[in-house]
Amino acid sequence: MLVALRIGYEKDDRLDRAKRIEWLDVDRISRSSVLVLGAGALGNEVVKNLVLSGFKELAIVDFDRVERSNLSRCVFFSEMDALQGTHKAEALARAAMALVPGVFIKPIVGQVENLTMEDFEKHDLVFGCLDNFNARLHANSHSRSAGVPYIDGGMQGTIGKVFVSLPDGPCLECASNITHSRIAALRYSCTGRDVSFFMPPVPAEITTTSIVSALAVREGLRVLSKNAERLDGQMIYYDGGRNVCEVFEIDIDTHCPNHSRSSRGRSEDEATISR
Amino acid sequence: MIALTTVLKVKNAETGSTVDMELEAENTINEIIESAASFWHKDPGAYVLRRGKKVLGGSLTVKDANLVSGDVLELIPDPEGG
Repeated sequence: MLVALRIGYEKDDRLDRAKRIEWLDVDRISRSSVLVLGAGALGNEVVKNLVLSGFKELAIVDFDRVERSNLSRCVFFSEMDALQGTHKAEALARAAMALVPGVFIKPIVGQVENLTMEDFEKHDLVFGCLDNFNARLHANSHSRSAGVPYIDGGMQGTIGKVFVSLPDGPCLECASNITHSRIAALRYSCTGRDVSFFMPPVPAEITTTSIVSALAVREGLRVLSKNAERLDGQMIYYDGGRNVCEVFEIDIDTHCPNHSRSSRGRSEDEATISR
Repeated sequence: MIALTTVLKVKNAETGSTVDMELEAENTINEIIESAASFWHKDPGAYVLRRGKKVLGGSLTVKDANLVSGDVLELIPDPEGG
């Protein structure tokens, strides 16, 4: 059937400009489901970029509540959220759904470490916007076992990184070392349970958050767009202090627990770092 | 018999300072990171060691990583915040 071209049609389509980028598979993106782990500064920016990029189905996981010190970096949180101590996942989901009609976001108030394999398998892409290495390891191993690409972001001051891990490539644990083990162990008591210990807040500011989240979401768009050049198994390292952005390679480590044997069927305990 | 050693340079990305390290083939990246972090009194935190564009996994040995005398490795922070 012949469809008549309507003058000004391109102005009515929210995603018209994105559809003009050849490699970008806007249709697949709009049909994909994304799991966002962490609803802090990075989570806010990642979700903003996701919903504006055309994603319509997201789940956001965070156990924490909004505090006033979050407001300088979290576009979706308000003074009222801080005053009421709203759960971050709920505040973020509500505000992001209001930004783009037709988007559905499920907030999950809970610890990332309590998510099961089934929680990961439901999604096409996982973003790690986390603030600790234990949660990252859980996300890394479970995404991998579920066969879902995992994109991990991290920031400290004006330094940031984005790591793209696909199920058949190197993973986050391949690039880890004894300093990661030490940090992970600090969070546990001898009983193996989480303990409270003083950890000074990590320095952070919004411009680095914006850059890191943009790089992370861009890689997510590439992973879902078949015709895009991707950074599988590589790490983008951004140093805002020196205005340098580099791409580092990571090899599969045969000693990595996710690669030394089949990761399928690993128990929850095995999915955390050996201490 | 004299064991062959590898002498390489480790650079502190945060300060630009360097230290020479004498290593044996079986020394690991973990040991290099620990020694360098201790030498510079680094705060507790995650760091990675890179050679050029490659990040070296902690369990690799000097031999596995094909490190040779004169190599320059850089200790960079691995940002943990979100």
